[in-house]
Amino acid sequence: MVKAVKGTLVKCDASIKAMLVDIDEKHGHDFIIEELDEEHILVKDTKIAELKSRLQGMMKERLKEPESSGSE
Amino acid sequence: MSSSSQALEYLEQQPLKTHTKLYEQPSTVLAIFRCMLPHLAKTLVMAMLYMTGPFPADDLDAWFRADGKKDKGKALTVLDRLHIMTTAVAVAVTGARTTTYGLAPRFATSLREALTGGGSHRSFGVPASTTGAERVTVHFLEQYATKQWENILFYMVGSTVGLAGGGEGVGGEVGEGTKALLKMGEFIHIAGRNVRITKKGFEFVLRDTNAQVWSLLIVYLQNAPALGMSETDVLSFLFLLGSLSIGQDYTTSTLSPTQLQMLEDLSAFGIVYRPSSTSPSFYPTRLAVTLTSDSGSLQQRSTTTTTTPKETRGSATEKGFIIIETNYRLYAYTNSLLSIAILSLFTKLTTRFPNLVSGKLTRDSISRAVKLGISSAQIISYLQAHAHPQMMRNTTILPPTVMDQIRLWEYEGERVETTSGYVMKEFESEKEYRDLVEYAESLGVLVWRSDARRCFFVDQIDQIGTYLQRKKK
Repeated sequence: MVKAVKGTLVKCDASIKAMLVDIDEKHGHDFIIEELDEEHILVKDTKIAELKSRLQGMMKERLKEPESSGSE
Repeated sequence: MSSSSQALEYLEQQPLKTHTKLYEQPSTVLAIFRCMLPHLAKTLVMAMLYMTGPFPADDLDAWFRADGKKDKGKALTVLDRLHIMTTAVAVAVTGARTTTYGLAPRFATSLREALTGGGSHRSFGVPASTTGAERVTVHFLEQYATKQWENILFYMVGSTVGLAGGGEGVGGEVGEGTKALLKMGEFIHIAGRNVRITKKGFEFVLRDTNAQVWSLLIVYLQNAPALGMSETDVLSFLFLLGSLSIGQDYTTSTLSPTQLQMLEDLSAFGIVYRPSSTSPSFYPTRLAVTLTSDSGSLQQRSTTTTTTPKETRGSATEKGFIIIETNYRLYAYTNSLLSIAILSLFTKLTTRFPNLVSGKLTRDSISRAVKLGISSAQIISYLQAHAHPQMMRNTTILPPTVMDQIRLWEYEGERVETTSGYVMKEFESEKEYRDLVEYAESLGVLVWRSDARRCFFVDQIDQIGTYLQRKKK
């Protein structure tokens, strides 16, 4: 029987996906419903905003941002 | 997003009952036909309008080339969701089943009435009979609409960027009702006396005026039942407004109580003008008559609408005042506080002269905007739409480096793309999977598929559900 699962499809590149999976693991698998392939995962509708903000936080921590070339 | 697609989306969510009621008004039907339906759907409706009997699906298929299947599916989807087209399955004596299509009778009657005239309906508005001495000019209506609408926009933007209460033409008082509406639509966030614009609000401000009007009206519609107004009444009045002509006054005596109440609110938005709140007539403004047309309302005075004669150019949000250099410096020849406020959402403005502001697009200013929910595409299209005539002469209006950089800056902040919907999986056979995935593709709802895993993702499921049920029988 065909099954329909409600959720939000997240499309991202593989490196970001790894981070998302990492976040999911650290928080008791509360976000991801299913990993679909290397670039797509299915996330709970209610958790997508939180996941996004956690990803932002993680990226800030891990990636050194280049100094902005803001000379006037 | 184009303005009418918003309205279409809203309309599609309405139940059959609402649709049937709406289709009693020829003006509504004409408006839907004119601006909501895709062109192919229009062709189908026109072809079927004067057909006497049901139209076999096989005959319809014969009209399409094999490669047009996808477009056909989309057109039929829209017609089906709006309950314009009905599908019937007839079983012949031989046991063969044939699917036939037909237009919803109410819709067809009203459209015929709208196209050929006739009937005693007053659905296109009744001009006021007393042409009093105090008739207002079109020019006045333009200014009125512009002023009211800019007030609303400035209320949203100005308070966020700290320019509130500036006076200078804009920044006037916005009605409590309008404020409540903006809050309800989550365009602004009010905490005590502080007003902050939200992510949705930014999207709102950067859209073209027509789309803005619709966004606000859709919030209004959703809220109508709470105010004791019937949604159908409100909707058909909006469609009626779209068919009026500017500069003409219309009598209020043929309107229902709901619609009279609406007039009050609409004049606060600048969509209609009434000399006084007890006046027996009202004037539609540019915002109203462009509701159901695709041409722009305030900024772009186009000549494509049949209902609006060519008009004098208003100074509203004057077109073409932004110059951008390849070094990301931006000069905007404007003294409109609204324009400055909008620019400051994504630009680091440094200097303001009487007729010019200058600044720079920086990584910080763009990523701040992106964080607030403005997309690079929105920024670029805003800059393009308001580029100085001098820049318009270039083949690419904006310097390509600047456009690319804006996109890259956005990409830094936003690394994922999300779509809400449903995953379909656990198909019993390859054939079943193929069948459904192809159906989803023809409907245009397919977002992602994996043949290896036999599952796919759709952003809408209603029709797939009905399709599956129909197949089960």
